[in-house]
Amino acid sequence: MASIDLIREFLQDRLGVEPEKVVPPALLADLGVDSLMMLELMFAFEDRFGITLARGLKTPRTVGDMAALMDGLIAGQNT
Amino acid sequence: MDRRRVAITGIGLVSPYGGDLPDFFARLVAGESAIHHLLTDDLPRPLSIPFVACPGFDPDSVLGKPLAAMMDRFAQLGMAAAFAAWDDCGLPRRPDGESRDDWGVAWGTALGGTLAYENGYRELWQKGRERLSPLTVVLGMNNAANAHISIQFGLGGVSMSHTVACASSAIAIGEAFRRVRSGEATVMVSGGSDVPQAYAVARAWEALRVLAPGDGETSPAACRPFAADRRGLVLGEGGAALVLEDWDHALARGARIHGEIVGYGTTCDHSHLVRPEAAGQIRALGATLADAGLTPADIDYVNAHGTATAEGDPVEIAALLAVFGDLAGGLPVSATKSMHGHLLGAAGAIEAIATVLVLREQVIPPTINLAGNLDPACAGVDHVTSARRDRPLRVALSNSFAFGGSNAALAFRAVNR
Repeated sequence: MASIDLIREFLQDRLGVEPEKVVPPALLADLGVDSLMMLELMFAFEDRFGITLARGLKTPRTVGDMAALMDGLIAGQNT
Repeated sequence: MDRRRVAITGIGLVSPYGGDLPDFFARLVAGESAIHHLLTDDLPRPLSIPFVACPGFDPDSVLGKPLAAMMDRFAQLGMAAAFAAWDDCGLPRRPDGESRDDWGVAWGTALGGTLAYENGYRELWQKGRERLSPLTVVLGMNNAANAHISIQFGLGGVSMSHTVACASSAIAIGEAFRRVRSGEATVMVSGGSDVPQAYAVARAWEALRVLAPGDGETSPAACRPFAADRRGLVLGEGGAALVLEDWDHALARGARIHGEIVGYGTTCDHSHLVRPEAAGQIRALGATLADAGLTPADIDYVNAHGTATAEGDPVEIAALLAVFGDLAGGLPVSATKSMHGHLLGAAGAIEAIATVLVLREQVIPPTINLAGNLDPACAGVDHVTSARRDRPLRVALSNSFAFGGSNAALAFRAVNR
């Protein structure tokens, strides 16, 4: 599953956000992702891919930032 | 001391019958049980007990997904009840000019977010997972319900929860009442919520041998307060809330006043953790009457604690006999727990609501499963076993007596209309 689809699935399931609103330039905060929900999103991501995110990770601001971050980590895991 | 009158301007709950507030009270008056058999798929042995659930409650639709996702079920039930009570009181959900800096919340819950932590244990110990959702802390904290309520209504004053077992929300309401009466708070949201179907919680209550048995057929009649064949209490989940408001503030905005809260007293038996003692209850009842400036002759109805345990029921009647003396024989008493079960930290609140509605609607709901079946040890008061509307109902008490020996009674007065 592409990272953005995972983000869409999570936001729809947890916050009721319509998938078509989850586009790369969208600000996560505008979609209802506050600091707590960001932690939960990271947790779901770690869980899905069996990885642990570095603690010092820069918090993504947009859906695109988040997807890029996830893509990078998944790619690193597969090499 | 300058004392303000305290109006009840909002009432709301998550009804175990699935309907709205008028439906809830109509079913109580009709003597309809909300108790059903609960059968879970828990390991190693399923729960199989009579229970009062709110199966029709859909947190996502009532609260919206983002809010519901931030709450454990106890907070969801509490928030839903608080929304219903707040909408009932007629104030806008968000502040609209008037400062709410001294408005607050006093909530009652015996178990708080126990279910969130139990889910955590399941993940770790049953499913072998190594970590938990980071939301677990905010789901599990015992002050989650009151915190969410303060946030949703923009209430800037005190926000607290009271944990006093079965008297939690009676004490929460009493403490809220005092803050409005003293002028410290203009408006207080109070009530309680609890979710006792947490596996370890229900199992623990079973181990104490105070839960009534029952299956699919017998569960609706499993709770029989004051009856000779009573077998124990029936646990239930739920949320119930009231809005307490400075009387003049309520009048000034033309609010509908459901009733007046006029007295509150609380004591401790200071003798035994679970064996109740009449002396402590007598002091609580006396303190409540004194607080309200009432005498026993003023009381037209008592909503009993009446859990249907072997030990508790006769002690409560002994306390009522001591306080009411010669008047006890004509004192209408009923235990609505026979129908809505024991909601632990929400019990005092749902019974306070029932008591306020008794005065507003001028009808007393019965203790069911009691007619022709009274335990002689519980005799001496006028047990109401079918709905009664034969005389004016002006003032009523609601009793809550907790494990730990804490006792609380609330006094309510009907509003002339």
